[in-house]
Amino acid sequence: MVTIEEQEELFLDISRKLKKKIICYAIGGTAMMFLGLKDNTKDIDLVFENEDNRKTFMKALEELDFKKLDSMILYGKKPNQPELLKRKEQERIDLFTPEVISFVFSENSKKRAEKTHQFGENLIIKIANVHDIILMKHATDRAKDITDIKSILDSEKINWNIILEETKNQLSLGKQRAALDLGLFIENLEIIGIKIPKDFSDELFKVFENQVKEMKKRKDKIG
Amino acid sequence: MATFNMQKQININVLLKMLAGNHTLSSIIDILNENKIKTNKQKAIYLMHRLRKKGYVKTEKLSNNKRVYNISFNNKLKGFNYYDIINENSPIKLAIHEDYKIYGKKKSLEEALIYALNKKSVRSLLAILALFKKINNWSLLYKLAKKEDLQRQVGTLYDIARTIIKTRKMTKRFRNLSLPKKTDKFLYMIDNLKSKDFKDIEKTWKIYIPINKIDMEDYRKW
Repeated sequence: MVTIEEQEELFLDISRKLKKKIICYAIGGTAMMFLGLKDNTKDIDLVFENEDNRKTFMKALEELDFKKLDSMILYGKKPNQPELLKRKEQERIDLFTPEVISFVFSENSKKRAEKTHQFGENLIIKIANVHDIILMKHATDRAKDITDIKSILDSEKINWNIILEETKNQLSLGKQRAALDLGLFIENLEIIGIKIPKDFSDELFKVFENQVKEMKKRKDKIG
Repeated sequence: MATFNMQKQININVLLKMLAGNHTLSSIIDILNENKIKTNKQKAIYLMHRLRKKGYVKTEKLSNNKRVYNISFNNKLKGFNYYDIINENSPIKLAIHEDYKIYGKKKSLEEALIYALNKKSVRSLLAILALFKKINNWSLLYKLAKKEDLQRQVGTLYDIARTIIKTRKMTKRFRNLSLPKKTDKFLYMIDNLKSKDFKDIEKTWKIYIPINKIDMEDYRKW
């Protein structure tokens, strides 16, 4: 487990090794720690805008004795897997670019990441907004993600409209399963007793229905 | 003792959320009581101790010897904010927006000045005038200002600062490189905002100044 103090130290070490200025986005547990929603995290999740920046970051990690891991172990056959790096038995770092499994870290997500932490001269980490953290947690869908979402919902005021709008945005970015997957995930949350506003669930279902109709129309045209 | 044990049950994160902001001990007691957590002075001190142990509390003493507690998750983070630098050096204090934290770097007055200038608020502009009392790395300030195209704005603020406080001397090089050319147009520091004061400085730098002389009262008492 990485504590906030260890995380700060690690980012400073990475910054000292970086050869150029890099901006990236903290998501998942890392973002939650910066927002005061968690005391420690199993892994550090970062999103990069391009492959070049990710490679530069990986080079810095390798200079700090991090070794590459096979991401299939953790993510199976999911798409857009991150590069995984680990140092001994300590911290594991997941580096995404710019798609996080089935979620595109969109321009809107970047705009919502208002809080910034600068480490030394070269490392600038923007913190994903809680709404995007929820959406990405559903995309990665690992065992601990539901617990994290529960703690976000317990302590933060959620504007469900933002989640709905971003889901529509994901559809427009080609993520055809965005509404369906979120709907299924929401149902799982409800099963374990997390209350989701009915208006939101209804609206999400409408988005899904419209999407199915659209797809059917397109299919008929081709057929 | 039973009530004391009950206090231990309060989740530290809930407490943090409830008390986030600036407080005196009595305002803490009021808030906790309003939230149905029966609290007296002793219990409030104990709860503050718990928050402090987690690193969430910063304490300041006012001139009347009263303590003000700043309670925030951000106090736990080791980095600093540009507003911290300004508040340490200016009689005009700014409410801290925790939107930018810096780690592993020396605190730089020059960077803080450019950061606050970019915020385009009258209070920020007033607060950063005080930084000219200590700013002495003019080449760094010029480099930072040039990057943001703010050389004339910096020159304008420097001349305003000199009307009210003793400042370090701006280098001739900074001044000559920053003064506007004949072809340069007038610019606003804050969109559509200009005062009737400092007309000479306004003409020199071709910058509309959003500050009135009366706004600078705090500097007279400083």
